[in-house]
Amino acid sequence: MTRPSVLVPIQVLEGESLPEGTPELLTNAHVVLLGYHVIPGQTAPGQARMQFEEQALARIEEFEAVLTEAGATVDHRLVFTHDAQQTINRQIAENDCLAALVPRTLADLEDVLVAVRGTVGIDRLARVVAGLFADRDIDVTLYHVTSEDETDADVDVLLEGLADRLADENVDPDRIETRTDRDVKPVDAIADLAETYDVVVMGESDPTLATFVFGMPADQVADRFLGPVLVVQREPTDDE
Amino acid sequence: MGANGVDVSTGGENIEGQQPEPEPQAVTDETTAHDEGVELERTIGLVGGLAIGIGTMIGAGIFVFPGLAANEAGPAAALSFAIGGVIALLVALPASELATAMPRSGGGYYFISRSLGTAGGAIVGLGLWLGLVFAAAFYLVGLGHYVVAVLAEIGIALSLGPAPPHVVLGLIAGATLTALSVAGTERTAALQNVIVVVLLVILTGVLSYGVLDALGVFGRQTVPDTFFSKGYFPVLSTAALVFTSYLGFAQVATVAGEIKRPSRNLPLAMVGSVIVVTVFYAVTILVATSTFGADRLGTFGETAMVNVGRNLLGLPGAVLILVAGLLATFSSANASILSASRSIYALSRDALLPRKASEINLKYGTPHVALAMAGGPILVLVATDSVEILAEVASFLHLVMYALICVALLVLRRRNPAWYDPDFRMPGAPALPAIGAVASVALIAFMNAASIVIGVVIMALSYGWYRYYADDVRLKGDI
Repeated sequence: MTRPSVLVPIQVLEGESLPEGTPELLTNAHVVLLGYHVIPGQTAPGQARMQFEEQALARIEEFEAVLTEAGATVDHRLVFTHDAQQTINRQIAENDCLAALVPRTLADLEDVLVAVRGTVGIDRLARVVAGLFADRDIDVTLYHVTSEDETDADVDVLLEGLADRLADENVDPDRIETRTDRDVKPVDAIADLAETYDVVVMGESDPTLATFVFGMPADQVADRFLGPVLVVQREPTDDE
Repeated sequence: MGANGVDVSTGGENIEGQQPEPEPQAVTDETTAHDEGVELERTIGLVGGLAIGIGTMIGAGIFVFPGLAANEAGPAAALSFAIGGVIALLVALPASELATAMPRSGGGYYFISRSLGTAGGAIVGLGLWLGLVFAAAFYLVGLGHYVVAVLAEIGIALSLGPAPPHVVLGLIAGATLTALSVAGTERTAALQNVIVVVLLVILTGVLSYGVLDALGVFGRQTVPDTFFSKGYFPVLSTAALVFTSYLGFAQVATVAGEIKRPSRNLPLAMVGSVIVVTVFYAVTILVATSTFGADRLGTFGETAMVNVGRNLLGLPGAVLILVAGLLATFSSANASILSASRSIYALSRDALLPRKASEINLKYGTPHVALAMAGGPILVLVATDSVEILAEVASFLHLVMYALICVALLVLRRRNPAWYDPDFRMPGAPALPAIGAVASVALIAFMNAASIVIGVVIMALSYGWYRYYADDVRLKGDI
């Protein structure tokens, strides 16, 4: 089984460190450990590098050692930037990351909530879930909010199909559960349900006017859920 | 693109035992990459690059010089601006080629130190820093004049002690700008873009009206004038004076290390900004001289454009030009202070200035020492209130760099080292860069003697500093 690659962004000089529980969560992953430092426009990135490189690299290498010890393979990057989002997007594309972690403290790792939006991107979602949680004592709940133009049968096919695929990839079928809701707003429903779980896995949506105004659903969920969120990235497009 | 940058192993150490920082491993469209997975993100796009170039230049050419230039050269001042534009373009082309081969921070300083060696690099690099200091002081005096004019418009006549009010206001503005750059927010770049767009919109509106007016569309007689009313020589000396209006494209190169897709965006931003401002300058002078005639225009001094705006559009015209003049001189001064700080960083990276000079403030994340090294001398220069000397010395120090940029291009084309692989190759080499070099030096000859003396002294001191402080530092690439 190939390790799913997961981006772990850390603002390394702002006192952020690798949150507790992250090494355990990512033990089966290939981690792209991104230390980044955002500087104001008046400062040249190279100027910040001259002053902070040593200190920042030392911290990153410390985190890298902890992740490696827990079983992950790790690549690190240290980026000085004026624009954090541009840097994170570029790292995801360059390193072909399946998912990005919103790094948060994790007390126990017993159950995972997987928000399934639809068939689009489901292959990448499956690779992340199976890659990280196969053969481990972790309960996986596949959750879908049924929309008005879907029938219950459609949703069963969707979730059962995913459950079968995960089982094929060595996720214990007895630990997979499915759950659906109807007539609720997906973001609220996921965030509410997430409170009883340790980790959330969800997809990144296509940007629309609504996401432009209200932010990405994954960000909205991450704002409300206090634990780590794995955001599965869209298939890279060629036109970029 | 020239993926591996310059083949240079910098070496030696300065008097404090500091060595030049190692060169990066690779330069890509989106980053500058160093060892151990360390990368510097490129975040300035084409619009940002154009805004730096246009924003730096347009303040001087349109809002400070028209009156002064008309006073010296008559209607032929338009020709002086055109000469400046042609020379700027002759240098922007080789600078673009060099920038695509070496997209690193420091611009002209970087090209020259890597192709002609440390001595030339030190003279140009220290000259660039001080040239920007002179330029910023010049813009700030202009800004002071605009504030006085705004206050006069609403009926307030300032009296601020023994110094002329525009000098005091220029000093306050300079100190405020420096403090803002040290402690300011992150969005200064976005603000600069907005200011430039607002400026271009106001100017296009006022000038379009002015052109129609000059063509007689609104049924008014324009003032006829003899074109060379002051003779031929003043056209060239005025060209030397107003060349300060064309310094901004080199500032694009000082942030070359932060420009996205440098092989495309650097040439477009440099050459594009020169062409845009040249067109605006030419139209401005045409409109201004046809509105009043050169002689009357010349009597209005630094804020002559306000009178042009009033004459064309009444009070709203005057207000528009006043607002635009404030924005333009402000953005020019701001861009120059930031570029000066970037030049100091480039010198300190190469051990030509103490490492301390580019130190970053832990609270604000800004280079407070470098900004103070820009802001401090600027205030001293503003206090001298010598608009023409400030402008000419700024031009002098830039023109020396421009001439050497042309020489560097000729040397690199001739030796053609393996690492030299620019994506943009200028047309007309070697003739055009040779003409560019000669023209840059020739323009200096038409300046005031005082400006030339100050410029030469600064160059000599720069060379002396290099021999004293960093004699042992080697920066030249494998050529």
